[in-house]
Amino acid sequence: MAYRVLIVDDSPAMRNFVRRVMELSGFDLAVCFEAGDGGEALKVLSSEWVDAILTDINMPGMDGEEFLRRLSADEILKSIPAIVISTDATRNRMDRLTTLGARGYITKPFVPEDLREVLERTLGDPNA
Amino acid sequence: MPDMPFQRALRNSVQEVLEKMFFVEPLEEPPAEAESPDEEMAVQLAFDGVPSGALTLRVSNAAARQIAADFLGEDESGLCSGQVEEVVRELANMICGSVLSRVESTATFRLSPPRLLVPREGQNRQEAAELRAVHAVAIGSGTLTASVETRDPVCPAVEKSAS
Repeated sequence: MAYRVLIVDDSPAMRNFVRRVMELSGFDLAVCFEAGDGGEALKVLSSEWVDAILTDINMPGMDGEEFLRRLSADEILKSIPAIVISTDATRNRMDRLTTLGARGYITKPFVPEDLREVLERTLGDPNA
Repeated sequence: MPDMPFQRALRNSVQEVLEKMFFVEPLEEPPAEAESPDEEMAVQLAFDGVPSGALTLRVSNAAARQIAADFLGEDESGLCSGQVEEVVRELANMICGSVLSRVESTATFRLSPPRLLVPREGQNRQEAAELRAVHAVAIGSGTLTASVETRDPVCPAVEKSAS
């Protein structure tokens, strides 16, 4: 099964990297949407369905925490698994993001296999 | 005098970030001579937490272009300066987050957006800041030097929210 994924990060270079790493890892990517912050991501989600969201936390405009709150408050969007990609590996931050609705957490730096493993675990490994 | 936990965290973070995210294997050898400020790119980001401080990253132009090309999966000749700057900012952000997560895994930190320093800016430390760690590596024909300064004492048991 090929997946539709939304990458939310204010850095175009980081979005490019995440997309490339998904492809390198062998993850079955059908379509990849991109957004520069939570507000842009919500606009994308108003017209496109995705299977998973990969989001940064520290972003100008709507940051990742507020974006997760908005997703959780929406009856339809809350069913989309959101995975956080962040440099912050502190326990407090991970716990708080989980409380806000994050289903997975990837700490930068990561290797392609890390990203694929979290995506497949979150989405349900089609080969399992 | 470098702080050993910070020094170890900075060394491991620089190594891990460059290897995993930039596909670069840095060599731990001191640069033969310091880069001229006009031939390097420097970025700095402040962090607020316990402790608060700043990480400064100085990258020679040659190393910056190599790192950017590897991160973006593009040829060096096709890169514009804006792309290189953006990648160096992202590198500084990742190293800083990694260092802080290693030094204080239970606290919460807020990182400021990395900003580009003008040549020679930030070479003199602020009086209140204390140098915690410096780590330099060779990357191809260039160099990368990361340094961490803090303004507060390191208090591992204290917790501070980012909100």
